[in-house]
Amino acid sequence: MPTLTIRALPTALAAIASIAISLICTSVACADDPLSNDVRIGSYSVFYHVNASDLSGPFIPAGENLNFHPEDIETLYFAYLRRLSPHFTFELAMGVPPVAKTKGRGPLDLGSVPYNDQVLSTVRWFAPTGFIEYNFLPESSPVRPFIGVGVNYTYFYDRTSTGPGDAVSGGPTKISLPASVGPAGTVGLTWRPAPRWNFTASYSGSKVNARLTANTAGEIRTSHIEFNPTALIISVGLSF
Amino acid sequence: MFNMVKGLGAGLVVALLAACGSNTGTSAVATSTARGTLDVNPPLRILSFDAPGLQAELASNSTAAALLPLWGNPTCGVDVYYVKFWTVGGAGETTESSGALMVPTGAAPPCTGPRPIVLYAHGTNPDQTLNLANLVNPNDSEGVSIAATFAAQGFIVVAPNFAGYDISTLGYHPYLNAVQNSGEMIDMLAAARTALPNTMSSATSDSGQLLITGYSAGGYVAMATQRAIEAAGGKVTAAAPMSGPYALEALLDSVFLGAVDAYSTVNGTMLIDGYQHAYGNIYTTATDVINPQYATGIGNLLPSATPIDTILAEGLLPEFALFDNVTPTVTIPGSAVLSAELTAALAVPSNPANPFTPLFDLGFGASYLINNDYRVSYAINAASFIDGAGPLAPTGSPPTVAAIPAMIPSPTLAPAFYLRQALNTNDLRNPPWAPHSPTLLCGGDSDPVVYFSVDTGTMQKFWSALPAGALTVLDINATPAGPFAELQGAFQAHQAGVLAFYESAAGGSLSPTAAELQVVAQTHQAEQPFCSVAARSFFTEILGG
Repeated sequence: MPTLTIRALPTALAAIASIAISLICTSVACADDPLSNDVRIGSYSVFYHVNASDLSGPFIPAGENLNFHPEDIETLYFAYLRRLSPHFTFELAMGVPPVAKTKGRGPLDLGSVPYNDQVLSTVRWFAPTGFIEYNFLPESSPVRPFIGVGVNYTYFYDRTSTGPGDAVSGGPTKISLPASVGPAGTVGLTWRPAPRWNFTASYSGSKVNARLTANTAGEIRTSHIEFNPTALIISVGLSF
Repeated sequence: MFNMVKGLGAGLVVALLAACGSNTGTSAVATSTARGTLDVNPPLRILSFDAPGLQAELASNSTAAALLPLWGNPTCGVDVYYVKFWTVGGAGETTESSGALMVPTGAAPPCTGPRPIVLYAHGTNPDQTLNLANLVNPNDSEGVSIAATFAAQGFIVVAPNFAGYDISTLGYHPYLNAVQNSGEMIDMLAAARTALPNTMSSATSDSGQLLITGYSAGGYVAMATQRAIEAAGGKVTAAAPMSGPYALEALLDSVFLGAVDAYSTVNGTMLIDGYQHAYGNIYTTATDVINPQYATGIGNLLPSATPIDTILAEGLLPEFALFDNVTPTVTIPGSAVLSAELTAALAVPSNPANPFTPLFDLGFGASYLINNDYRVSYAINAASFIDGAGPLAPTGSPPTVAAIPAMIPSPTLAPAFYLRQALNTNDLRNPPWAPHSPTLLCGGDSDPVVYFSVDTGTMQKFWSALPAGALTVLDINATPAGPFAELQGAFQAHQAGVLAFYESAAGGSLSPTAAELQVVAQTHQAEQPFCSVAARSFFTEILGG
């Protein structure tokens, strides 16, 4: 059992995972059946679909539409899956925390401040997601589509505000952006050419939102942001 | 006025959204509230323009575009910082205040390296939310004007919003209070000098040259600041007070004796409130001075976050009528002649030869601000302690303030005694002094708010012993002549244009008399950019540029 992994998870995710596993284990012999564990590794292409409320606070014109452009990212995907029953699987998916760069999009300069295409800041975020997945077709089928629902937890860290970023903000800025917990969903297809090996393609989405608070020289600005990332995952898995 | 901040707002969001976590520092907040302490270091930069961008912004606004030929195209970019600092109120109360630090930027020689500081004081403003650093506020054009006039031409601008405005929680503004106003200017200057090396515009530095200016009430503050710095042994490179009520006692004597200036209900309210808070002796209850119709809440009415038009519309303040249109009768026991003279002096003005008479008459009405009893008391004080530049002074009197005793010498004088004493205390002829630095006084003889002859003219006489060249007086409305002829011509052409507008169909096809009254009413405000450019030329010449 991946108890160490679960203990390392944030509380909400761990609780859901534990409850799901324990519930299903009451009806299924939960001995470590052969090939009921699965580890996967692959590519994780993340696309952001940002929607943010107007920034509020001093010296921000009312009604100004936000202009947020984090770059889509590619990172390494890895996951642990546990067979719960012939049709149900628990998946804990995550990626190597990527360095996300945010670039300005708009005029070449804002006054005398270079803006367009400038890397304004970088950040890492750790975003494990737990899914309960339903697999269609019999277990013996080499190809099995699946759908799943779950919970995403996103923790933001390692912020680096660049010089252009500080210049745009009006000075050194302290940011608070609390971790987000939100629903997630996935749909995919697993091809198992051999009992121990599988290849999976899936498309996932999650709802990630947070209230941002920024302090620049004592002036507090806030915004409610929905990141709503989707991810295309291509992976290879080993069952044991 | 400016749209560039919208882009900055969006850019800010871009920076912030990805700037996640909370592990980045921000500006340091001072633990001391000592005077002149910079509260937030470095301060927030609100705006940043390069020279072409600033020019484009100015050109995109019709009001600014019309003045751009006067200001000249920007030579420099301008970074605008929002500075917070600690100062004191009129009664010595500790308060946080704020202001604008405008820094010229760019590679051109006048825009980088050591540059002179222009310490600027803004004029009377009833808007409590005034923030000169917030150039996007469409209700405030003075910040844009000083940015275009000075900062865009290579001067570092330091301009306090003053206690009682913006973030200050003082609850009133110490209006025309020489000690507080000059002290706050000096506090803001100290804070700005602390901030400047830590800003994102640190390629521009303080050359140590200090130029002081301001318009209207700010002209008064500028002169008070010049006096205070020089009295303390400090060095002022040059000063250019503009259209200020320097001879405060003489000006108010004129007003109380019938020459009611434009905007007197607003100015008068701020004056009485400011002195009442500072000295606590102007009245026991507000109705001692104020018509009961307006007395409730008058002590904290202005400046206000509520627009002045709303305040007037709600009947909290009369729009024009400072005094009762029923002329009071002055009775001074044993002084029948003086009583009769003062009674006549308090009548509604009717001299048809005076072009200001229609304006003066607007200052009288049935719904007035100042009680007749108080006005009579003031007139008796003015007649008892005669200001040498006031309306009751015999011809040829030296232009000095009245000699007012410390205590009330008789009950007849009591009601208005302390107001006139406050005016006497804050009159910039008291105590006698003269500037050590080259000084320009700019104003206009058609100004209906701060009378040129009473204020600028009085100071010119007061300093008549100064050596030639130490004092320059510019009447922007006089026949064009001398080094400022071009500016005088431009101002007068501007006024002629305004007159033609009001006489045209677009301006309402007013009669010549009515159109002239409209021109007179906006003259004080119209002078500001012209006098500011005159001040810039004067400073440039002093600096050898």
